[in-house]
Amino acid sequence: MMSEGFCSNSAGWVLAWSGNFVRAVVVAGGSGRRRPVGPTVDVCRLADTSGVGAVEGGLQVVVRPSIQEVTTMATIIHPRVRPSAMDDYRAPSRPRTIGLAIAVVGLVLTAVAFVANLVVTGDVAGREATLPWSFGLTTLGFGTIKLAIGVILWGIIIKLWLRVDAIKEALPRLAVLDPAKPVESGTIATPYGKATVSSQAPSELAIHRMAKSMWRPMLAMGIMAVAIGFLTSLTWADTGSLTASAWTQGLQFLGEGMLLAGVSFLLGTILWSIRTGGGEVQQGLGVAVKTLKMPNTAKLFVAFMMLGLMTSVAQFVGYLVVAAGGVNTAAWLAFLGPLRELGLALILAGITLALVTIGNVLRFQFDRIIEIIKTGK
Amino acid sequence: MTTTTHDLDFEVSTKNPGFNLPQRLGRKLWAPMWLMALMGFAAGIITAGIRANGVATGGAETTLAAQGHLVTGFMFIGFAAVFAAISFAIARILGVFRDGGGRVQETLGVEVHTLKMPTTAKAFIGLMMMAMMAILIAVIVHLVTAAGTAAGTITVADAATTAIALEAIRRLGVATYLVAIALGLATITDVLRFQAIRLRELPRSIAGS
Repeated sequence: MMSEGFCSNSAGWVLAWSGNFVRAVVVAGGSGRRRPVGPTVDVCRLADTSGVGAVEGGLQVVVRPSIQEVTTMATIIHPRVRPSAMDDYRAPSRPRTIGLAIAVVGLVLTAVAFVANLVVTGDVAGREATLPWSFGLTTLGFGTIKLAIGVILWGIIIKLWLRVDAIKEALPRLAVLDPAKPVESGTIATPYGKATVSSQAPSELAIHRMAKSMWRPMLAMGIMAVAIGFLTSLTWADTGSLTASAWTQGLQFLGEGMLLAGVSFLLGTILWSIRTGGGEVQQGLGVAVKTLKMPNTAKLFVAFMMLGLMTSVAQFVGYLVVAAGGVNTAAWLAFLGPLRELGLALILAGITLALVTIGNVLRFQFDRIIEIIKTGK
Repeated sequence: MTTTTHDLDFEVSTKNPGFNLPQRLGRKLWAPMWLMALMGFAAGIITAGIRANGVATGGAETTLAAQGHLVTGFMFIGFAAVFAAISFAIARILGVFRDGGGRVQETLGVEVHTLKMPTTAKAFIGLMMMAMMAILIAVIVHLVTAAGTAAGTITVADAATTAIALEAIRRLGVATYLVAIALGLATITDVLRFQAIRLRELPRSIAGS
């Protein structure tokens, strides 16, 4: 098998290999001053290649069995979900710091609206001018904090992968590995649910692929909807029009729903990281790859998230109907207020289940690490 | 014994320290809170349907005002509970890292290094409690106002004024809860960083012991 080395092509891409593992990274600068500027992507194992391509994070690479050669590449346009070669596992997380700063901004926006609301509580005339924009500002504040949570979750994903790298490095020196025996594939029962046993790391689940690709657009669309809704709230405060009121409420709560959906997709991406990382570690050691099957809490999480997002879309449509006129406005608004909250509530209920699933999967992984240390298999 | 070899403070022991009190609470309380949230939301949306029907059919003003407070009260019982469930689930994850890291080190027979509770974790707990109190106080006043309005001891105008003040308090409570959750998640990044550092130290620790 190959030892270590790298080769590059004219487009400034490098394929590096260590053992039988191939990684690709985009580099800048001349041959003497190369520095990685993009994510390092685990492409595929040489044993698996046989001339087939692998697609990961927008990068397509074809590895040939004899010569490692990059033949096709697409630009990486997404923020990475795996650490780059430049990431230091000892350094504090930058997304964490940025996320906390954004959260403070969100809290300040909400505090300003809080004071404005209290000031006009006893002032009937002042309410009409203030409450619309304070509603818009509060919701913008909520959206900002949810975006901050998304940024911190992204930081968690990067740190999870750096921890996987640490396990890959340390575990072979901590466990006396049993000489390779054929792995008996099948299903086993664990305290955390059923798990599969295989010799190879499991393939990605469709829901994980979806989570990885959807968190960015959801967060982006969500914060835009909330911000545009804040602008319409200024029109609502200025004119007092029903149309502006309906657009503000519908759009901002649709945006809040999208932001929470983005957070949910990030939690799904964390579950992907734990599953994929666990598979890579076990396969790299040559031991049986034990992977927890999708737990019921994860299935319920997906169901709650979808139901919540659909409810958020439904309330938005409801507000558009109110804006268009021709319905009993007071009755519709009486129901749409709680309905928009229900949409967010359902997604939050799903997020709880995602966090519980993450806790269970992590416990399963700790048990597996201890099993490998104790038994070497 | 407390030691610092990088910017993360940690404790050294011979045994796995296991889950601490907030983490044990997190393990026990996330599920009851989650169920309470679902019940609050269900009660809220059903009451909202009844109220919307009352609005459409020209129901009594006092009844509608009382029901308005009742709907919000139920919905925010749900929100207080679901945010608590999320916070407990995060505490549970932190506990899994603490207990799992301790078990791995104990199994290897090396000194057990455990991250001391970071400032973000302390702020997470403090803000979570403040936020929950703010929302629950608002919920209690909503329910009292609903009862008073239905009984005729509180006027519809006063009920409307109370609703505006309570809305402000609830919103600040929700924002504080969200920031608390952000702090809890930020703590997880610290724990992951600490574990990545400790994992790479372990082979040397074994060689040295």
